[in-house]
Amino acid sequence: MATENKHEGPAHHLREYGAQTPGTKGIPGTRRYSMVIDLRKCIGCMSCVVACKAEYGVPLGVWRTWVMVADKGRYPDSRRIFMPRLCNHCDYPICVRNCPTQATFKHEEGFVLQRYNRCIGCRTCVVACPYNARHFLPAKRTNNNLPVLVVDKCTFCIHRVKKGLVPACVQACVGGARIFGDINDPKSEVAKLVAREKVTVLKPELGTSPSVYYIGGDWEIMDEPHNYKHRTAQQREEFNTYKRNHHGDAFGDIVEGENTMYHVGKNMSDFIASIPHKYHEVVAALKKLLFG
Amino acid sequence: METIITYNAVHHNPWGTPITIYFWLVGASAGSFVLSAFGWVFGIKRYKPLALTASILAIAMLMIVPVLLIWDLGKPFRFIYLMLPGYWHGTAPMSWGSLLILSYPVSMFVYTYFVIKNNQKWAKIVGIIAIVLALSTHWYTGVVMELNPGRYVNHTPLAPLLFLTGAFISGIGLMILVLWVQNQFMRPEKKIKWELMEEMAQYMMYGIVFDFFLLFLDFMQTQYGTASEYLGHSTVLMGIFFTPYIWLEVIIGLLIPLILLVSPLKRTRLGVYGAAFLVAVGVYGMRVWWVMGGQYIQSFY
Repeated sequence: MATENKHEGPAHHLREYGAQTPGTKGIPGTRRYSMVIDLRKCIGCMSCVVACKAEYGVPLGVWRTWVMVADKGRYPDSRRIFMPRLCNHCDYPICVRNCPTQATFKHEEGFVLQRYNRCIGCRTCVVACPYNARHFLPAKRTNNNLPVLVVDKCTFCIHRVKKGLVPACVQACVGGARIFGDINDPKSEVAKLVAREKVTVLKPELGTSPSVYYIGGDWEIMDEPHNYKHRTAQQREEFNTYKRNHHGDAFGDIVEGENTMYHVGKNMSDFIASIPHKYHEVVAALKKLLFG
Repeated sequence: METIITYNAVHHNPWGTPITIYFWLVGASAGSFVLSAFGWVFGIKRYKPLALTASILAIAMLMIVPVLLIWDLGKPFRFIYLMLPGYWHGTAPMSWGSLLILSYPVSMFVYTYFVIKNNQKWAKIVGIIAIVLALSTHWYTGVVMELNPGRYVNHTPLAPLLFLTGAFISGIGLMILVLWVQNQFMRPEKKIKWELMEEMAQYMMYGIVFDFFLLFLDFMQTQYGTASEYLGHSTVLMGIFFTPYIWLEVIIGLLIPLILLVSPLKRTRLGVYGAAFLVAVGVYGMRVWWVMGGQYIQSFY
Protein backbone atom coordinates (compact mmCIF):
# COMPACT_ATOMS: atom_id res chain seq x y z
CA MET A 1 0.00 0.00 0.00
CA ALA A 2 1.35 3.39 -0.97
CA THR A 3 0.55 4.91 2.40
CA GLU A 4 2.86 2.53 4.22
CA ASN A 5 5.92 4.58 3.39
CA LYS A 6 4.39 7.57 5.14
CA HIS A 7 3.87 5.69 8.38
CA GLU A 8 6.47 3.94 10.38
CA GLY A 9 6.17 0.61 8.59
CA PRO A 10 5.31 -2.74 10.14
CA ALA A 11 7.51 -2.12 13.18
CA HIS A 12 5.37 0.78 14.36
CA HIS A 13 3.13 -1.36 16.52
CA LEU A 14 6.09 -2.35 18.67
CA ARG A 15 5.45 0.72 20.77
CA GLU A 16 2.20 0.08 22.49
CA TYR A 17 1.87 0.63 26.18
CA GLY A 18 -0.73 2.08 28.44
CA ALA A 19 -4.50 2.03 28.10
CA GLN A 20 -4.57 1.85 24.37
CA THR A 21 -5.20 -0.53 21.58
CA PRO A 22 -2.25 -1.32 19.32
CA GLY A 23 -1.56 1.09 16.49
CA THR A 24 -3.84 0.25 13.60
CA LYS A 25 -2.42 2.56 10.99
CA GLY A 26 -1.75 0.61 7.81
CA ILE A 27 -2.97 -2.68 9.30
CA PRO A 28 -5.36 -4.39 6.85
CA GLY A 29 -8.77 -5.29 8.24
CA THR A 30 -8.77 -2.49 10.81
CA ARG A 31 -10.02 1.07 10.75
CA ARG A 32 -7.88 4.10 11.42
CA TYR A 33 -9.72 7.38 11.23
CA SER A 34 -7.52 10.25 10.15
CA MET A 35 -7.80 13.79 8.93
CA VAL A 36 -6.07 15.50 6.07
CA ILE A 37 -5.97 19.29 6.12
CA ASP A 38 -5.27 20.84 2.75
CA LEU A 39 -3.76 24.17 3.70
CA ARG A 40 -3.94 25.39 0.12
CA LYS A 41 -7.71 25.48 0.54
CA CYS A 42 -7.90 26.98 4.03
CA ILE A 43 -9.08 30.60 3.95
CA GLY A 44 -8.92 31.21 7.71
CA CYS A 45 -12.66 31.82 8.12
CA MET A 46 -12.66 30.00 11.50
CA SER A 47 -15.89 28.18 10.65
CA CYS A 48 -14.35 25.00 12.00
CA VAL A 49 -13.59 26.69 15.32
CA VAL A 50 -17.13 28.04 15.60
CA ALA A 51 -18.68 24.70 14.62
CA CYS A 52 -16.60 22.92 17.25
CA LYS A 53 -17.44 25.48 19.92
CA ALA A 54 -21.14 25.12 19.09
CA GLU A 55 -21.06 21.32 18.95
CA TYR A 56 -19.61 20.94 22.43
CA GLY A 57 -20.23 24.26 24.16
CA VAL A 58 -16.49 24.71 24.48
CA PRO A 59 -15.92 27.44 27.11
CA LEU A 60 -14.21 30.76 26.52
CA GLY A 61 -10.44 30.67 26.57
CA VAL A 62 -10.03 27.01 25.64
CA TRP A 63 -10.20 25.28 22.28
CA ARG A 64 -10.65 21.81 20.87
CA THR A 65 -9.62 23.16 17.50
CA TRP A 66 -8.20 26.52 16.53
CA VAL A 67 -6.56 28.13 13.51
CA MET A 68 -3.12 29.64 13.64
CA VAL A 69 -2.53 32.65 11.43
CA ALA A 70 0.81 33.92 10.14
CA ASP A 71 2.09 36.49 7.70
CA LYS A 72 4.74 35.20 5.36
CA GLY A 73 7.19 37.48 3.59
CA ARG A 74 7.40 41.27 3.49
CA TYR A 75 5.11 43.71 1.78
CA PRO A 76 4.45 43.74 -1.17
CA ASP A 77 5.66 40.16 -1.54
CA SER A 78 3.68 38.74 1.35
CA ARG A 79 0.73 36.51 2.01
CA ARG A 80 -1.30 35.28 4.93
CA ILE A 81 -1.14 31.60 5.81
CA PHE A 82 -3.29 29.51 8.13
CA MET A 83 -2.89 26.29 9.99
CA PRO A 84 -5.84 24.62 11.73
CA ARG A 85 -4.87 22.72 14.85
CA LEU A 86 -6.58 19.96 16.78
CA CYS A 87 -5.79 16.75 18.61
CA ASN A 88 -3.59 14.61 16.38
CA HIS A 89 -5.15 11.37 17.66
CA CYS A 90 -1.68 9.86 17.71
CA ASP A 91 -1.10 6.17 17.21
CA TYR A 92 1.29 6.29 20.19
CA PRO A 93 -0.24 8.96 22.38
CA ILE A 94 2.01 10.17 25.18
CA CYS A 95 -1.06 11.47 27.01
CA VAL A 96 -2.56 7.97 27.21
CA ARG A 97 0.50 6.27 28.63
CA ASN A 98 1.03 9.07 31.17
CA CYS A 99 -2.56 9.30 32.48
CA PRO A 100 -2.53 7.80 36.00
CA THR A 101 -6.21 6.78 36.11
CA GLN A 102 -6.81 5.50 32.57
CA ALA A 103 -9.13 8.46 32.05
CA THR A 104 -7.79 8.89 28.58
CA PHE A 105 -7.53 5.94 26.24
CA LYS A 106 -7.17 5.04 22.62
CA HIS A 107 -10.16 3.56 20.84
CA GLU A 108 -9.52 0.63 18.50
CA GLU A 109 -10.44 2.78 15.53
CA GLY A 110 -7.91 5.40 16.48
CA PHE A 111 -9.88 8.00 18.45
CA VAL A 112 -8.04 9.24 21.54
CA LEU A 113 -10.84 9.89 24.03
CA GLN A 114 -11.32 11.28 27.51
CA ARG A 115 -13.53 9.84 30.27
CA TYR A 116 -14.64 12.72 32.50
CA ASN A 117 -15.81 10.43 35.27
CA ARG A 118 -12.31 9.01 35.65
CA CYS A 119 -10.37 12.24 35.23
CA ILE A 120 -8.99 13.63 38.49
CA GLY A 121 -7.86 16.89 36.91
CA CYS A 122 -4.14 16.32 37.53
CA ARG A 123 -3.31 17.70 34.06
CA THR A 124 -0.54 15.15 33.48
CA CYS A 125 -1.92 14.56 30.00
CA VAL A 126 -1.78 18.29 29.27
CA VAL A 127 1.88 18.29 30.24
CA ALA A 128 2.44 15.19 28.11
CA CYS A 129 0.70 16.39 24.94
CA PRO A 130 3.23 17.97 22.59
CA TYR A 131 0.49 19.61 20.54
CA ASN A 132 -1.38 21.65 23.19
CA ALA A 133 -4.45 19.72 22.12
CA ARG A 134 -5.74 19.26 25.66
CA HIS A 135 -7.29 21.84 27.90
CA PHE A 136 -8.44 22.09 31.47
CA LEU A 137 -12.12 22.98 31.73
CA PRO A 138 -12.75 26.09 33.83
CA ALA A 139 -14.45 25.97 37.23
CA LYS A 140 -17.49 27.93 36.05
CA ARG A 141 -19.56 27.14 33.00
CA THR A 142 -22.82 28.59 31.77
CA ASN A 143 -24.40 25.15 31.70
CA ASN A 144 -24.15 23.51 35.11
CA ASN A 145 -24.61 20.06 33.65
CA LEU A 146 -21.36 20.19 31.74
CA PRO A 147 -18.14 18.92 33.32
CA VAL A 148 -15.78 21.32 35.09
CA LEU A 149 -12.16 21.11 36.29
CA VAL A 150 -11.37 18.02 34.26
CA VAL A 151 -9.37 17.75 31.08
CA ASP A 152 -11.13 17.86 27.74
CA LYS A 153 -10.05 17.41 24.15
CA CYS A 154 -11.11 16.87 20.56
CA THR A 155 -12.86 13.53 20.03
CA PHE A 156 -12.79 13.53 16.21
CA CYS A 157 -16.58 13.82 16.80
CA ILE A 158 -16.90 10.10 17.44
CA HIS A 159 -20.63 10.54 18.14
CA ARG A 160 -21.10 11.88 14.61
CA VAL A 161 -18.70 9.47 12.92
CA LYS A 162 -20.54 6.50 14.43
CA LYS A 163 -23.71 7.77 12.75
CA GLY A 164 -21.98 8.05 9.40
CA LEU A 165 -21.41 11.79 9.62
CA VAL A 166 -18.12 13.64 9.40
CA PRO A 167 -16.80 15.69 12.34
CA ALA A 168 -18.43 19.10 12.86
CA CYS A 169 -15.32 20.99 11.78
CA VAL A 170 -15.14 19.02 8.53
CA GLN A 171 -18.84 19.60 7.87
CA ALA A 172 -18.45 23.34 8.42
CA CYS A 173 -15.28 23.86 6.39
CA VAL A 174 -16.29 26.15 3.54
CA GLY A 175 -13.17 25.54 1.49
CA GLY A 176 -13.25 21.77 1.83
CA ALA A 177 -9.83 21.95 3.39
CA ARG A 178 -10.53 19.34 6.06
CA ILE A 179 -10.99 15.80 4.80
CA PHE A 180 -11.85 12.97 7.16
CA GLY A 181 -11.96 9.22 6.71
CA ASP A 182 -10.46 5.80 7.29
CA ILE A 183 -6.86 5.88 6.12
CA ASN A 184 -6.73 2.08 6.09
CA ASP A 185 -9.36 2.02 3.35
CA PRO A 186 -7.42 2.56 0.12
CA LYS A 187 -10.58 3.87 -1.54
CA SER A 188 -11.12 6.62 1.01
CA GLU A 189 -10.24 10.18 0.10
CA VAL A 190 -7.80 10.56 2.98
CA ALA A 191 -5.87 7.45 1.92
CA LYS A 192 -5.72 8.67 -1.66
CA LEU A 193 -4.57 12.15 -0.60
CA VAL A 194 -1.89 10.83 1.74
CA ALA A 195 -0.65 8.51 -0.99
CA ARG A 196 -0.71 11.13 -3.72
CA GLU A 197 0.23 14.41 -2.08
CA LYS A 198 3.24 15.52 -0.10
CA VAL A 199 1.96 15.48 3.45
CA THR A 200 3.56 16.54 6.71
CA VAL A 201 2.69 16.00 10.34
CA LEU A 202 3.47 18.07 13.44
CA LYS A 203 6.59 17.14 15.41
CA PRO A 204 7.25 13.82 13.64
CA GLU A 205 10.51 13.48 15.59
CA LEU A 206 8.57 12.62 18.76
CA GLY A 207 7.41 9.32 17.27
CA THR A 208 3.77 9.87 18.18
CA SER A 209 2.61 8.99 14.65
CA PRO A 210 -0.09 11.68 14.36
CA SER A 211 -3.27 11.04 12.39
CA VAL A 212 -3.69 14.62 11.24
CA TYR A 213 -1.85 15.25 7.98
CA TYR A 214 -1.20 18.61 6.40
CA ILE A 215 -0.88 19.30 2.69
CA GLY A 216 1.10 22.40 1.87
CA GLY A 217 2.36 22.91 5.41
CA ASP A 218 4.77 25.78 6.00
CA TRP A 219 7.70 24.61 8.08
CA GLU A 220 7.99 27.86 9.98
CA ILE A 221 4.42 27.95 11.25
CA MET A 222 4.75 24.26 12.15
CA ASP A 223 7.97 24.79 14.08
CA GLU A 224 7.64 25.33 17.82
CA PRO A 225 10.79 27.42 18.39
CA HIS A 226 9.86 29.59 15.41
CA ASN A 227 6.41 30.16 16.88
CA TYR A 228 7.94 31.36 20.11
CA LYS A 229 10.53 33.63 18.55
CA HIS A 230 8.54 35.18 15.75
CA ARG A 231 5.36 36.66 17.13
CA THR A 232 3.95 40.07 16.46
CA ALA A 233 4.05 42.58 19.29
CA GLN A 234 0.25 42.50 19.30
CA GLN A 235 0.24 38.73 19.68
CA ARG A 236 2.74 39.02 22.51
CA GLU A 237 0.58 41.57 24.31
CA GLU A 238 -2.57 39.53 23.72
CA PHE A 239 -0.98 36.56 25.42
CA ASN A 240 0.23 38.68 28.30
CA THR A 241 -3.13 40.34 28.82
CA TYR A 242 -4.88 37.01 28.76
CA LYS A 243 -2.48 35.40 31.20
CA ARG A 244 -2.54 38.43 33.48
CA ASN A 245 -6.32 38.44 33.70
CA HIS A 246 -7.01 34.71 33.57
CA HIS A 247 -4.57 33.04 35.87
CA GLY A 248 -6.68 29.98 35.21
CA ASP A 249 -7.15 26.96 37.37
CA ALA A 250 -3.70 25.50 36.81
CA PHE A 251 -1.69 28.15 38.72
CA GLY A 252 1.27 28.11 36.35
CA ASP A 253 1.07 31.22 34.20
CA ILE A 254 3.96 33.66 34.00
CA VAL A 255 3.52 36.97 32.19
CA GLU A 256 6.37 37.82 29.84
CA GLY A 257 8.25 40.98 30.77
CA GLU A 258 6.86 41.14 34.29
CA ASN A 259 8.38 40.01 37.56
CA THR A 260 8.48 36.21 37.40
CA MET A 261 8.59 35.69 41.14
CA TYR A 262 5.59 37.99 41.56
CA HIS A 263 3.57 35.71 39.32
CA VAL A 264 4.89 32.63 41.12
CA GLY A 265 3.49 34.16 44.31
CA LYS A 266 0.28 35.26 42.61
CA ASN A 267 -0.27 31.71 41.38
CA MET A 268 0.05 30.49 44.95
CA SER A 269 -2.48 33.00 46.24
CA ASP A 270 -4.86 31.94 43.46
CA PHE A 271 -4.32 28.34 44.50
CA ILE A 272 -5.12 29.11 48.14
CA ALA A 273 -8.20 31.07 47.07
CA SER A 274 -9.41 28.07 45.06
CA ILE A 275 -9.33 25.68 48.03
CA PRO A 276 -12.67 26.73 49.63
CA HIS A 277 -14.49 26.22 46.31
CA LYS A 278 -13.02 22.77 45.89
CA TYR A 279 -13.72 22.05 49.56
CA HIS A 280 -17.45 22.52 48.92
CA GLU A 281 -17.19 20.13 46.01
CA VAL A 282 -15.53 17.51 48.19
CA VAL A 283 -18.23 17.89 50.86
CA ALA A 284 -20.93 17.51 48.21
CA ALA A 285 -19.21 14.42 46.79
CA LEU A 286 -18.92 12.90 50.28
CA LYS A 287 -22.60 13.58 51.01
CA LYS A 288 -23.56 11.96 47.73
CA LEU A 289 -21.41 8.96 48.52
CA LEU A 290 -22.69 8.51 52.06
CA PHE A 291 -26.33 9.51 51.78
CA GLY A 292 -27.03 8.94 48.10
CA MET B 1 10.84 34.49 3.55
CA GLU B 2 10.13 35.35 7.13
CA THR B 3 6.96 34.09 8.77
CA ILE B 4 5.49 36.00 11.68
CA ILE B 5 2.75 34.50 13.82
CA THR B 6 -0.14 36.93 14.04
CA TYR B 7 -2.71 34.78 15.81
CA ASN B 8 -2.65 31.66 17.91
CA ALA B 9 -4.67 30.25 20.77
CA VAL B 10 -3.47 30.97 24.29
CA HIS B 11 -2.46 28.00 26.39
CA HIS B 12 -1.90 27.89 30.12
CA ASN B 13 0.99 26.19 31.85
CA PRO B 14 -0.69 23.07 33.22
CA TRP B 15 1.45 22.82 36.35
CA GLY B 16 2.37 25.76 38.53
CA THR B 17 3.44 27.07 41.90
CA PRO B 18 1.87 24.36 44.11
CA ILE B 19 3.82 21.72 42.20
CA THR B 20 7.08 23.67 42.58
CA ILE B 21 6.56 23.86 46.34
CA TYR B 22 5.71 20.18 46.45
CA PHE B 23 8.95 19.32 44.63
CA TRP B 24 10.91 21.45 47.07
CA LEU B 25 9.25 19.92 50.13
CA VAL B 26 9.71 16.33 48.99
CA GLY B 27 13.33 17.08 48.18
CA ALA B 28 14.08 18.68 51.53
CA SER B 29 12.26 15.82 53.24
CA ALA B 30 14.35 13.21 51.43
CA GLY B 31 17.54 15.15 52.20
CA SER B 32 16.68 15.38 55.91
CA PHE B 33 15.87 11.72 56.00
CA VAL B 34 19.23 10.77 54.55
CA LEU B 35 20.84 12.60 57.49
CA SER B 36 18.59 10.76 59.87
CA ALA B 37 19.70 7.47 58.36
CA PHE B 38 23.41 8.28 58.76
CA GLY B 39 23.32 7.21 62.40
CA TRP B 40 20.87 4.31 62.42
CA VAL B 41 21.32 2.80 58.96
CA PHE B 42 24.89 3.59 57.97
CA GLY B 43 26.24 3.23 61.49
CA ILE B 44 27.87 6.66 61.83
CA LYS B 45 27.24 6.99 65.54
CA ARG B 46 27.91 10.71 65.92
CA TYR B 47 24.81 11.34 63.77
CA LYS B 48 22.48 9.43 66.07
CA PRO B 49 21.59 12.44 68.25
CA LEU B 50 20.06 14.27 65.31
CA ALA B 51 18.26 11.27 63.81
CA LEU B 52 14.96 11.85 65.56
CA THR B 53 14.83 15.55 64.72
CA ALA B 54 15.73 14.79 61.11
CA SER B 55 13.07 12.15 60.65
CA ILE B 56 10.41 14.30 62.35
CA LEU B 57 11.36 17.19 60.07
CA ALA B 58 11.13 14.87 57.06
CA ILE B 59 7.69 13.67 58.15
CA ALA B 60 6.48 17.22 58.89
CA MET B 61 7.43 18.43 55.44
CA LEU B 62 5.81 15.46 53.85
CA MET B 63 2.58 16.15 55.72
CA ILE B 64 2.16 19.39 53.75
CA VAL B 65 2.50 17.57 50.43
CA PRO B 66 -0.99 16.02 50.27
CA VAL B 67 -2.53 19.44 50.88
CA LEU B 68 -0.73 20.80 47.84
CA LEU B 69 -1.20 17.81 45.61
CA ILE B 70 -4.79 16.97 46.42
CA TRP B 71 -6.06 20.56 46.26
CA ASP B 72 -4.17 21.13 43.04
CA LEU B 73 -6.31 18.45 41.42
CA GLY B 74 -9.38 19.63 39.57
CA LYS B 75 -11.32 16.97 41.45
CA PRO B 76 -9.63 16.62 44.86
CA PHE B 77 -11.94 13.89 46.07
CA ARG B 78 -10.88 11.66 43.21
CA PHE B 79 -7.28 11.41 44.44
CA ILE B 80 -8.33 8.00 45.70
CA TYR B 81 -8.54 6.84 42.07
CA LEU B 82 -4.77 6.93 41.99
CA MET B 83 -4.74 3.92 44.29
CA LEU B 84 -7.77 1.94 43.16
CA PRO B 85 -6.93 -1.22 41.22
CA GLY B 86 -9.46 -0.58 38.46
CA TYR B 87 -8.03 2.86 37.85
CA TRP B 88 -4.33 2.44 38.51
CA HIS B 89 -2.32 2.76 35.34
CA GLY B 90 1.08 1.09 35.43
CA THR B 91 2.62 3.02 32.54
CA ALA B 92 2.00 6.43 34.08
CA PRO B 93 4.85 7.95 36.11
CA MET B 94 2.28 9.62 38.37
CA SER B 95 0.95 6.17 39.31
CA TRP B 96 4.41 5.16 40.50
CA GLY B 97 4.63 8.44 42.37
CA SER B 98 1.31 7.98 44.12
CA LEU B 99 2.47 4.64 45.51
CA LEU B 100 5.78 6.13 46.60
CA ILE B 101 4.19 9.15 48.26
CA LEU B 102 1.88 6.79 50.12
CA SER B 103 4.51 4.29 51.24
CA TYR B 104 7.36 6.68 52.04
CA PRO B 105 5.66 8.41 55.01
CA VAL B 106 4.46 5.05 56.36
CA SER B 107 8.00 3.68 56.33
CA MET B 108 9.26 6.88 57.94
CA PHE B 109 6.69 6.63 60.72
CA VAL B 110 7.71 3.03 61.43
CA TYR B 111 11.40 3.94 61.30
CA THR B 112 10.86 6.86 63.68
CA TYR B 113 8.97 4.56 66.05
CA PHE B 114 11.97 2.21 66.23
CA VAL B 115 14.33 5.14 66.69
CA ILE B 116 12.26 6.34 69.64
CA LYS B 117 12.22 2.80 71.02
CA ASN B 118 15.99 2.64 70.51
CA ASN B 119 15.65 -0.60 68.55
CA GLN B 120 18.80 -0.65 66.43
CA LYS B 121 18.00 -3.82 64.50
CA TRP B 122 14.57 -2.85 63.25
CA ALA B 123 15.44 0.81 62.84
CA LYS B 124 18.17 -0.28 60.44
CA ILE B 125 15.96 -2.71 58.51
CA VAL B 126 13.07 -0.27 58.15
CA GLY B 127 15.52 2.59 57.63
CA ILE B 128 16.99 0.87 54.57
CA ILE B 129 13.51 0.50 53.09
CA ALA B 130 12.64 4.08 54.01
CA ILE B 131 15.80 5.52 52.49
CA VAL B 132 15.16 3.68 49.22
CA LEU B 133 11.61 5.02 49.23
CA ALA B 134 12.79 8.54 50.13
CA LEU B 135 15.21 8.61 47.22
CA SER B 136 12.68 6.99 44.89
CA THR B 137 10.02 9.53 45.82
CA HIS B 138 12.33 12.31 44.84
CA TRP B 139 13.62 10.44 41.82
CA TYR B 140 10.02 10.30 40.70
CA THR B 141 9.61 14.08 40.87
CA GLY B 142 12.37 14.37 38.29
CA VAL B 143 10.99 11.56 36.18
CA VAL B 144 7.38 12.71 36.13
CA MET B 145 8.36 15.69 34.00
CA GLU B 146 11.30 14.08 32.24
CA LEU B 147 9.17 11.45 30.54
CA ASN B 148 7.42 14.01 28.37
CA PRO B 149 9.45 14.16 25.17
CA GLY B 150 7.57 17.26 24.03
CA ARG B 151 8.86 19.35 26.96
CA TYR B 152 12.39 19.81 25.73
CA VAL B 153 13.85 21.59 28.77
CA ASN B 154 12.68 18.80 31.08
CA HIS B 155 13.40 15.89 28.78
CA THR B 156 16.85 14.99 30.03
CA PRO B 157 18.06 11.97 31.99
CA LEU B 158 19.89 14.43 34.24
CA ALA B 159 16.53 15.38 35.74
CA PRO B 160 16.41 12.85 38.60
CA LEU B 161 20.06 13.54 39.46
CA LEU B 162 19.48 17.29 39.52
CA PHE B 163 16.50 16.76 41.79
CA LEU B 164 18.26 14.35 44.10
CA THR B 165 21.32 16.56 44.45
CA GLY B 166 19.11 19.56 45.14
CA ALA B 167 17.24 17.45 47.67
CA PHE B 168 20.43 16.42 49.43
CA ILE B 169 21.78 19.95 49.82
CA SER B 170 18.48 21.63 50.66
CA GLY B 171 17.72 18.88 53.18
CA ILE B 172 21.07 19.42 54.89
CA GLY B 173 20.61 23.18 54.77
CA LEU B 174 17.20 23.00 56.37
CA MET B 175 18.43 20.47 58.92
CA ILE B 176 21.30 22.74 60.02
CA LEU B 177 18.85 25.59 60.53
CA VAL B 178 16.42 23.42 62.50
CA LEU B 179 19.24 22.08 64.67
CA TRP B 180 20.39 25.62 65.35
CA VAL B 181 16.89 26.53 66.56
CA GLN B 182 16.68 23.30 68.53
CA ASN B 183 19.99 24.02 70.24
CA GLN B 184 18.58 27.27 71.62
CA PHE B 185 16.12 25.26 73.73
CA MET B 186 18.27 22.31 74.77
CA ARG B 187 20.38 21.70 77.82
CA PRO B 188 24.10 22.07 77.03
CA GLU B 189 24.77 18.31 77.14
CA LYS B 190 21.88 17.64 74.73
CA LYS B 191 22.94 20.23 72.20
CA ILE B 192 24.15 19.08 68.80
CA LYS B 193 27.87 19.63 68.64
CA TRP B 194 29.25 22.39 66.47
CA GLU B 195 31.73 19.98 64.85
CA LEU B 196 28.80 17.99 63.51
CA MET B 197 27.26 21.11 62.02
CA GLU B 198 30.56 21.86 60.31
CA GLU B 199 30.74 18.34 58.98
CA MET B 200 27.21 18.57 57.57
CA ALA B 201 28.15 21.85 55.94
CA GLN B 202 31.08 20.07 54.31
CA TYR B 203 28.72 17.46 52.87
CA MET B 204 26.57 20.29 51.64
CA MET B 205 29.58 21.80 49.90
CA TYR B 206 30.32 18.54 48.08
CA GLY B 207 26.67 18.48 46.98
CA ILE B 208 26.91 22.04 45.71
CA VAL B 209 29.98 21.20 43.63
CA PHE B 210 28.19 18.19 42.15
CA ASP B 211 25.09 20.30 41.48
CA PHE B 212 27.25 22.82 39.62
CA PHE B 213 28.65 19.97 37.56
CA LEU B 214 25.15 18.76 36.68
CA LEU B 215 24.06 22.27 35.76
CA PHE B 216 27.11 22.53 33.53
CA LEU B 217 26.19 19.24 31.82
CA ASP B 218 22.65 20.52 31.30
CA PHE B 219 24.02 23.78 29.95
CA MET B 220 26.23 21.95 27.45
CA GLN B 221 23.30 19.81 26.37
CA THR B 222 21.22 22.89 25.63
CA GLN B 223 24.01 24.72 23.84
CA TYR B 224 24.82 21.80 21.57
CA GLY B 225 21.30 20.41 21.44
CA THR B 226 18.26 20.95 19.27
CA ALA B 227 16.80 24.35 18.46
CA SER B 228 14.16 23.82 21.13
CA GLU B 229 16.71 22.93 23.79
CA TYR B 230 18.87 25.90 22.88
CA LEU B 231 15.89 28.22 22.87
CA GLY B 232 14.74 26.81 26.18
CA HIS B 233 18.00 27.82 27.77
CA SER B 234 18.97 30.98 25.92
CA THR B 235 15.58 32.66 25.86
CA VAL B 236 13.43 31.13 28.56
CA LEU B 237 15.86 30.32 31.36
CA MET B 238 18.18 33.24 30.67
CA GLY B 239 15.21 35.53 29.96
CA ILE B 240 11.84 35.07 31.63
CA PHE B 241 13.19 32.74 34.31
CA PHE B 242 16.45 34.57 34.89
CA THR B 243 15.50 35.39 38.51
CA PRO B 244 14.76 31.83 39.67
CA TYR B 245 17.48 30.30 37.48
CA ILE B 246 20.47 32.60 37.85
CA TRP B 247 19.72 34.71 40.90
CA LEU B 248 17.88 32.27 43.09
CA GLU B 249 19.47 28.96 42.18
CA VAL B 250 22.93 29.67 40.83
CA ILE B 251 23.96 32.76 42.79
CA ILE B 252 21.97 32.61 46.03
CA GLY B 253 21.57 28.84 46.23
CA LEU B 254 24.94 27.63 45.00
CA LEU B 255 27.61 30.23 44.37
CA ILE B 256 27.45 32.31 47.57
CA PRO B 257 27.14 29.22 49.82
CA LEU B 258 30.07 27.64 48.00
CA ILE B 259 32.19 30.75 48.56
CA LEU B 260 31.17 30.75 52.22
CA LEU B 261 32.01 27.08 52.62
CA VAL B 262 35.43 27.16 50.99
CA SER B 263 36.52 30.38 52.67
CA PRO B 264 37.68 30.72 56.30
CA LEU B 265 34.06 31.62 57.09
CA LYS B 266 33.24 27.91 57.02
CA ARG B 267 34.46 27.73 60.61
CA THR B 268 32.11 30.48 61.72
CA ARG B 269 28.44 30.40 62.59
CA LEU B 270 27.74 33.05 59.99
CA GLY B 271 29.33 30.93 57.30
CA VAL B 272 27.58 27.67 58.16
CA TYR B 273 24.12 29.01 59.04
CA GLY B 274 24.26 31.57 56.24
CA ALA B 275 25.16 28.92 53.66
CA ALA B 276 22.50 26.57 55.01
CA PHE B 277 19.81 29.23 54.74
CA LEU B 278 20.84 30.30 51.24
CA VAL B 279 20.97 26.74 49.94
CA ALA B 280 17.58 25.86 51.41
CA VAL B 281 16.02 28.92 49.77
CA GLY B 282 17.98 28.80 46.53
CA VAL B 283 17.07 25.24 45.62
CA TYR B 284 13.46 26.42 45.33
CA GLY B 285 14.58 28.48 42.33
CA MET B 286 15.49 25.25 40.52
CA ARG B 287 12.01 23.88 41.17
CA VAL B 288 10.47 27.03 39.67
CA TRP B 289 12.46 27.12 36.44
CA TRP B 290 12.22 23.40 36.04
CA VAL B 291 8.43 23.20 36.33
CA MET B 292 7.25 26.49 34.87
CA GLY B 293 10.18 27.17 32.57
CA GLY B 294 9.97 23.68 31.13
CA GLN B 295 6.41 24.25 30.03
CA TYR B 296 6.81 27.83 28.91
CA ILE B 297 7.75 27.63 25.21
CA GLN B 298 5.05 25.16 24.34
CA SER B 299 2.36 27.43 25.74
CA PHE B 300 2.99 29.63 22.70
CA TYR B 301 2.62 26.80 20.17
